[in-house]
Amino acid sequence: MHPAPSIILFTVLSGFGFGLLSIIGLLQFFSQISIFDLIAFSVLGIIFSTVGLVSSFFHLANKKNAIKSLSQWQTSWLSREAISSIFCLLLVCGNIGWVFLQNMYIKELGIVLFFLALFTIFTTSMIYAQLKTVPSWNNILTPSLFIFAALAGGAILLTNNASLVILLVFGTLQILFWYITDQGFNDKKTSIGTALGFDANEEIRPFDAAHTNRNYLLNEMVYKVGRKHSIKLRYISFFMAFVFPMSLILIFPGEFGVSILVIFLHLIGVYFSRWLFFAEAKHSVSFYYE
Amino acid sequence: MTKLPKCEDKKLGLLIDLDTCVGCHGCVVSCKEWNSSGSEKQLSDINSHKRDPIGTFLNRVHSYERENTNTNETETFYFPRSCLHCEDAPCVTVCPTGASYKREEDGIVLVNEDDCMGCGLCAWACPYGARELDLVSGVMKKCTLCVDRIYNEEITPEDRVPVCVKSCPTGARAFGDFNDPNSDVSKKVKERGGVDLMPEMQTKPVNKYLLPRIKSKNSQVSLSKGAEEETDSTGLLGWVDRALSKL
Repeated sequence: MHPAPSIILFTVLSGFGFGLLSIIGLLQFFSQISIFDLIAFSVLGIIFSTVGLVSSFFHLANKKNAIKSLSQWQTSWLSREAISSIFCLLLVCGNIGWVFLQNMYIKELGIVLFFLALFTIFTTSMIYAQLKTVPSWNNILTPSLFIFAALAGGAILLTNNASLVILLVFGTLQILFWYITDQGFNDKKTSIGTALGFDANEEIRPFDAAHTNRNYLLNEMVYKVGRKHSIKLRYISFFMAFVFPMSLILIFPGEFGVSILVIFLHLIGVYFSRWLFFAEAKHSVSFYYE
Repeated sequence: MTKLPKCEDKKLGLLIDLDTCVGCHGCVVSCKEWNSSGSEKQLSDINSHKRDPIGTFLNRVHSYERENTNTNETETFYFPRSCLHCEDAPCVTVCPTGASYKREEDGIVLVNEDDCMGCGLCAWACPYGARELDLVSGVMKKCTLCVDRIYNEEITPEDRVPVCVKSCPTGARAFGDFNDPNSDVSKKVKERGGVDLMPEMQTKPVNKYLLPRIKSKNSQVSLSKGAEEETDSTGLLGWVDRALSKL
C-alpha cells in the first residue's frame, strides 16, 4: 500500500495524542496526577490529536464533503473514528474547564476519558484491520499494535515503571506484527488463480500489460519501492521506538528531561513502523498485476 | 445508507466469457466514451497527449498465459476486470459519508459523487481493484452498469444494455438478471459453470465469468476427422468405407 505521509502522520500523531489522553484519564481515575499536569498534558494531547486529524483531512481528495463522514457510524469504522475523536476532544475540554472552574477534578470522569480515548485509537486501527484485502492488517495484531504504540507515548511522559511494561508489550507486538507481514498471502487461499476464477494453485502468468502507464490502482495499492530496504528500516524503527526508550528509562528513571528525549526518539521510531505498516502491506489487487 | 440491502427482486450484472474475449479493449474504450460524454461527470485524463498519461477507467482488460497440460502448449487468454456488483460489497460498508450504496431494486453498486469526500477507503476495501479515484474531480469512480442506459426510455430498446455489452464485437459480454433462473445469463452460468472471482473474500459477486475451456490434445484432429466422415458418407468411398467396416 502507498505510504502516504498525511496518513502516517495522522495515525502516529493522533495516536500519540489520544494515547496521552487515555493515560491522563487513567491517572485521573486513581488520583495520581496533579492538577497542573492534568491541564498541561491534556492541552498537549489535544494539540497532537488535532494536528493528526487535520493531517488526515489533507489526505482527502474532495475535502468539502468531509463533514458527511460523521453520518455512517452504523457500518463504517472511519465514520466511527471521526465521531469518537470529536466526543473525546469535547470530553477533554469539559474536563479541563471543570478543573479551571472548581480547582479539582472529578476522578470518575477519568475512567470515561480512558475508555473513550482508547476506543478512538481502536477505531483508527479498525479502518485498516477490517480490510480482508490486506491480510497483514486483517488480524487482531493491528488494533493491539496501534493501541500499545499510542499508550507507550503517554506512559513515557507520565509514568515510570508502567511505561516499561507498555513498551515491552509494544515491542513484542511489533515483532509479531512483522512476522505476520512476512506471511503475506501465504496462508490465505487468494492467488492469481482465484483472482481469475481458477483453482488457487493454477499456474498463470501475466502476458502483456493491461495499460501502458501507471494508474490509480498501481500508485495506491501496488506499492513496491520501499520494500527492498524494509529490513534496515525495521531495525531503525525497533531501536528508535523500543530499544533506546527502554534503555534510557532504565538508566535515568524518573527524569522528565530524559523522557522528552525518549518521546522524541519513540515517535520517530513509530513513524518508521507506520511507514512499514503501509509500504509492506500487500493488497489482493496486486495479483492482477504480477 | 451504507447498510447493504437484501436485493430479493433483481440482481443485475454481467457474464463475461473468457473463451470468447479476444482482448480488443473495445469495451474499455466504449465505457470511457459513454461515461465521459453528455454530462459534467467525466472520467478524466492527465497528460493524455504527453508523456506519462494517467487516467480513470471503469474497466481494464488484462492478458495472461497458462500451460495447457493436454497439449503442453502455452495458451493466452484475456480478462476484462470491472466492478462485480457484489452482494456483500465491502466497498459500501466502509464508506464514511454514505456516498457508496447498493440499490435494493436491482443490486447495482453506485457512488453518489455529491457525497464522496475522496478518502479512497472503498478502493482499498475492494479486492478486485474495481474503483479508481478520479484525480481531477477528487471523487471515486466505478462501473454503474450503465444505469443511465438500461432504464433510459429515450434510446431504442436494443440499446438499453451496458455499453460494454453493446460494443463487444465477439459477444463475450452478456447482461442480465442473475436472480431470474430463466434469464439467458443464468442459463449460461448453469450450462457452462460460471465462476466467482476470489470467492474466499466472501463478497458474493453478482458478475460471473466463464473460464476458457481447455482444448483437448486431439481437438485439431477430431475436427478434420469429423469433416471427412461427413463427405465420405456418400459416394463410392462411402460405400467402400461401410463395406470394409462390416468385415
